Amino acid sequence: MAQKEATIYIIDVGRSMGERRHGRSVTDLEWAMQYVWDKITTTVSTGRKTANVSVLALRSDETSNELQEHAENSNISILSKLGQVLMPDIRNLRDAIKPSNTNRGDAISAIVVAITMINEFTRTLKYKRKIVLVTNGTGPMNGDGREEIQKKIVGDGIELCILGADFDDPEYGVKEEDKDRHKAKNENLLREFAEGCEGTYGTLEEAIAELDTPRIKAVNPMPSFKGMLRLGDSQKYETAVQIPVERYPRTYVARPPSASSFVPVSKATQDEEGDPKPSQGDALTAVRVARTYQVDDPSAVGGKVDVERDDLAKGYEYGRTAVHISQIDENITRLDTFACLDLIGFINQDKYDRYLHISNTNIIIPERANDKASLALSSFIHALHLSSFYAVARMVTKENRAPMVVLLAPSINAGYECLVEVQLPYSEDVRSYQFPPLDKIITVSGKIITEHRNLPNQDLQEAMDNYVDSMELDHKDELGNDVLPIDESFSPLLHRIESAVRYRAVHPDNPILESPEKLTKFAHPDEELVKNSASFLDDLISKADVKKVPPKTKGRKRQRETEKPLSGLDVDALLNQEPKRANISPDNAIPEFKQMLSRAENIETIHGAVKQLCTIIESQIKNSLGDANYDRVMEGLGTLRDELVDYEEPALYNDFLRSLKSKILQEELGGDRRELWWLLRRSKIGLIDGKTSDRSEVSEEEAKEFLSAS
Amino acid sequence: MADDNYARDEEDFDEEEVDETSYRSVKDAILFAIDISSSMLTPRPSNDAKKPTEVSPASAAIRCAYHLMQQRIISNPHDMIGVLLYGTESSKFYDEDGKSRDDLSYPHCHLFTDLDVPSADEVKALRALADDEEEARKILKPSEERVSMANVLFCANQIFTSKAPNFLSRRLFIVTDEDNPHAESKSLRSASCVRAKDLYDLGVTINLFPISRPDHEFDTSRFYDDIIYKTAPSDGEAPAYLQPDTNTATAKGDGISLLNSLLSSINSRSVPRRSLFTNVPLELGPDFRISVNGYLLLKKQEPARSCYVWLGGETPQIAKGITTQSADDTGHVVEKSDIRKAYKFGGEQVTFTTEEQQALRNFGDPIIRIIGFKPLSALPIWANVKHPSFIYPSEEDYIGSARVFSALHQKLLKDQKLALVWFIPRKNATPCLAAMVAGEERVDENGVQKVPPGMWVIPLPFADDLRQNPEYARHAPADELVDAMRNVIGQLELPKKVYDAQKYPNPSLQWHYRILQALALDEDVPETPEDKTIPKFRQIDKRAGDYVMTWSELVDENAKRMFGGTAATKSTLVKRGPKDQAGDSGDPPSKRVKLESGTANLDDDVKRSFERGAVAKLTMPILKEFLTAHGRATAGKKADLVDRVEQFFEEKI
Repeated sequence: MAQKEATIYIIDVGRSMGERRHGRSVTDLEWAMQYVWDKITTTVSTGRKTANVSVLALRSDETSNELQEHAENSNISILSKLGQVLMPDIRNLRDAIKPSNTNRGDAISAIVVAITMINEFTRTLKYKRKIVLVTNGTGPMNGDGREEIQKKIVGDGIELCILGADFDDPEYGVKEEDKDRHKAKNENLLREFAEGCEGTYGTLEEAIAELDTPRIKAVNPMPSFKGMLRLGDSQKYETAVQIPVERYPRTYVARPPSASSFVPVSKATQDEEGDPKPSQGDALTAVRVARTYQVDDPSAVGGKVDVERDDLAKGYEYGRTAVHISQIDENITRLDTFACLDLIGFINQDKYDRYLHISNTNIIIPERANDKASLALSSFIHALHLSSFYAVARMVTKENRAPMVVLLAPSINAGYECLVEVQLPYSEDVRSYQFPPLDKIITVSGKIITEHRNLPNQDLQEAMDNYVDSMELDHKDELGNDVLPIDESFSPLLHRIESAVRYRAVHPDNPILESPEKLTKFAHPDEELVKNSASFLDDLISKADVKKVPPKTKGRKRQRETEKPLSGLDVDALLNQEPKRANISPDNAIPEFKQMLSRAENIETIHGAVKQLCTIIESQIKNSLGDANYDRVMEGLGTLRDELVDYEEPALYNDFLRSLKSKILQEELGGDRRELWWLLRRSKIGLIDGKTSDRSEVSEEEAKEFLSAS
Repeated sequence: MADDNYARDEEDFDEEEVDETSYRSVKDAILFAIDISSSMLTPRPSNDAKKPTEVSPASAAIRCAYHLMQQRIISNPHDMIGVLLYGTESSKFYDEDGKSRDDLSYPHCHLFTDLDVPSADEVKALRALADDEEEARKILKPSEERVSMANVLFCANQIFTSKAPNFLSRRLFIVTDEDNPHAESKSLRSASCVRAKDLYDLGVTINLFPISRPDHEFDTSRFYDDIIYKTAPSDGEAPAYLQPDTNTATAKGDGISLLNSLLSSINSRSVPRRSLFTNVPLELGPDFRISVNGYLLLKKQEPARSCYVWLGGETPQIAKGITTQSADDTGHVVEKSDIRKAYKFGGEQVTFTTEEQQALRNFGDPIIRIIGFKPLSALPIWANVKHPSFIYPSEEDYIGSARVFSALHQKLLKDQKLALVWFIPRKNATPCLAAMVAGEERVDENGVQKVPPGMWVIPLPFADDLRQNPEYARHAPADELVDAMRNVIGQLELPKKVYDAQKYPNPSLQWHYRILQALALDEDVPETPEDKTIPKFRQIDKRAGDYVMTWSELVDENAKRMFGGTAATKSTLVKRGPKDQAGDSGDPPSKRVKLESGTANLDDDVKRSFERGAVAKLTMPILKEFLTAHGRATAGKKADLVDRVEQFFEEKI
């Protein structure tokens, strides 16, 4: 549980805050609000009811606060009381925070008002109390009786933070030239005030610059397993041993907030309710998801009938057989297990392939407040470490969860010891795709070749070696060990979306902001590194002689060589001897069509082949029972399209597709075939456009239009 | 929290292997064509004296098909498989559905399992055939007359054309020991070549699984080199220079080793190679790119989700769910294009237009960009969040990619370095920082590749993904303690000191499908699951027992010395075995030390309470601790916990 919070922001809204200084495009107030809005919206985004925020305006035109009977507390007004901030509050504050017409109002008095408010709100309960004052330090300030106020702040455990526009900060490197004497005096006063009560004091520029550094949400460690690390079976063998341990996540992916689906409120509803509130943007209504269920029924129209949810049983597919499971047996397919962490055996660290890690990682530490367990586990960790072994174990985190095989690696680091645990793949998790070796070529006859255009020659290898050496990164930890810059890399999507949401909440009409540079710091190599390795890269590029393939020749060429079997046998010659292949047989349409094209000696043969295939496709549609033939039709069309792109005859395809479309839509091919048209749209086999084939006269828009029209 | 299958849905979205460019459906169909000749049916005795089994090549092939069928039901539930026996006396094609086509007949081709997603009955039938039951003997009868290979190939053609139209991957697995079926007839041979070309043009790949005869080595050049082509045209993702693997070791030897090598070689090609991303640039430096393809070689296999079954018809049917989205206020169905995404914020919704939403997620085009190199040792063992991607060069966008990739691969292997990369695997994918590590090729004892050579891209955690290590009181162990534990570890190495995933099938996944199979086939549900992940307790006791006891005593001694009587110890470290409880004489040395601290005898206390029927009198903390120590759930009311404790002891009796 996060601690309860009470934070008051005192914002100087005096007339002078409306000025632009030192060439900035924003006023002092706008500048200050960049900081304040970021802080407030960060609090709002947590959605916590116990994070209370209040905003006080200093040097406001009006006076409204709890101590307003005293004259020194004039021109201080409460814009929002301590409480959870919600969207309407943000809108109210946005409208209320404007430069005033006065410069009167005492900053120290505002702090006193804030202290009073916090005390009334929090009483003696446990709270994180904080007051933030943002000002440009040009207003009147009365330092009388400050010792007493400071004592109160310290005594109440309030954290004070004072930020000022153009306040001098030698450490950060801000010094305002020609500073007004009055302001200099104020700065002095505020600094001494803050320092006197253990508060912080700083210049606004620094605070705003820091906003770009993503803030990381700390998560309290919660054990995901408590149980025994066991060696042996204590039920059966007296030599079994167990150490009480706990498991905590070491890495756990922080996900960006998820968006839900909405649609604009329909006009009809708005009218019913009279004039809808002119809130920002369109009014939205949630999207409701409904599920209906269908089963195949050849006798029904469309081949499917709806069934009631209540008539359905839970089940699984075993191949294409449906296996239903009655409610009593609901868990019948579940493997019964008990929570455990059982050692299976040990493996050599050098023989472990790091890429076998397939999950996030956890740590295993001894049960807390158990000295003996701590001692025992420590001896285990050290023994693994000294022997250069990892342990392999079977882990079940909770009763009846699926068992996992995990790796346990010793970790001894800067006084902290634990086992790092990560899941290992099961045999079903490994897919054996085969790839040829990278350092040699094995020919069909089994000969091994080491010089080949796909293998680097010595020059290229040397150039690569030099380049890699020149691009060595120099990240080191305090002890001089090589490390990866994990601590400085932030999840780009997470922070981008979070900050966009916060910004949009306050500035609904502004466009979204660019991504801050810190998020993409590692998108490119360091400039210095690139400069230093440039000559090695040039050398590598020239030795590598890599050529980009122009987009057009990516497909097969028109005058391609016919493919031959491994022996190199001329099958075409055999085909020519086959007399019956003058006409394409519907049973063997695709191969015969391709072969006819590849043997075509004139354009008429191509036209003829296309015509034959088109007739076959149309008759497949006509004779299709429901969607039975649709996949074959798709294959035929796709093949036709690919081949005609290759043979640079896009018009033949486009003409056929146009006529096919009209026949489908006019139900000339055996009734309602709209589902086929929908399938065709989805499969991206529309008209061949100019981008796909430069012989085509169809533009991209035209092709798109053709598909979308129905 | 910390659900180990977290965010499965989100991941699925990122990880699905799709073919973005093709009109074909991303499915695979395998048709086994198994030669049923008398030599294929001759059993080959096994030399193993312990298991005198006889396996014929044909039955080995059928077993492989059965094995693959079972495996694919789990791993590729939507892919098809079929079994065609050829050279049989009987002939069977699509005859039952009444659609007999007289002009097409395939003598001596027996379509045993039609090409489809297998049904439970088909699994059963194939198993019966594999087990060589009576019925099977009738089918497995070679014909007198030689079967025409042209006919076999065209039969396969027709099966693929009608049953698996538009599939991205269609493969014909031929298992035979005849390397020259038409030695005597040139015309039959030519006809076969033509039919093989048809299959090639249809996009069907032929994979040959040759079996050598005891007296004759299979020679592909005699016939099959005219039949088999390089990669099929539809397999556009295969590297251009990928040689067909006809050089796969031919299966030979006695029955068992023949079966094993055939299994191994079929397994290695059981999954069609599908890429995760294609032709993504690998940028080595500014203005220097090559292209690579990415594959998922490691991915957690989950059981298929449950579905709804309609029981109203003759046979149970899967009901297809159809989702409709409607507006909450009017109930009208909404179009996808109207839907806007909104984030909850301050009690309301903050919205973005679709374009803005896309802009927020866009961090540039797909790329693997090297930003520098580091020694491999810089990659911490804990720095991991998910499975890696495997990459291999592609010549399609950049000619010369292969040689540059190879040079980088060799350099990283030689110097034990990794490349730090900025990784955007596909359009609109979330970028991440990743470690690119070179992996060496590994082959198994049959010479079949187990791990391909290439690079592994391991996504690293961001600073946001790191969790704080909780503090605890640490106690440095004395050297004698560490040494005693090293002795234990030294006794319990896994074979070859490596983790071999192939030895550990996922027990819950296998059990899930084992039960489903039993239910589907109406068989008895098996009682005990096979679970290879359960440690070999007997071996542990035998090999390391004495060392464990030594270590355990030392722990007790050290703890006593270090912490005295004040040691915070909740549970016993060393457990009593059943012998202790039976009150055997000759106390093992451990017994003495175990009786140290007050609460240490939790198990005994609880057991005594159980025997007196007084478990309910124990306090909640004791019940919870006891249950936790035995891996039982601790949720629920006291009565539930008491039940569970009693159940625990009852099970043991």
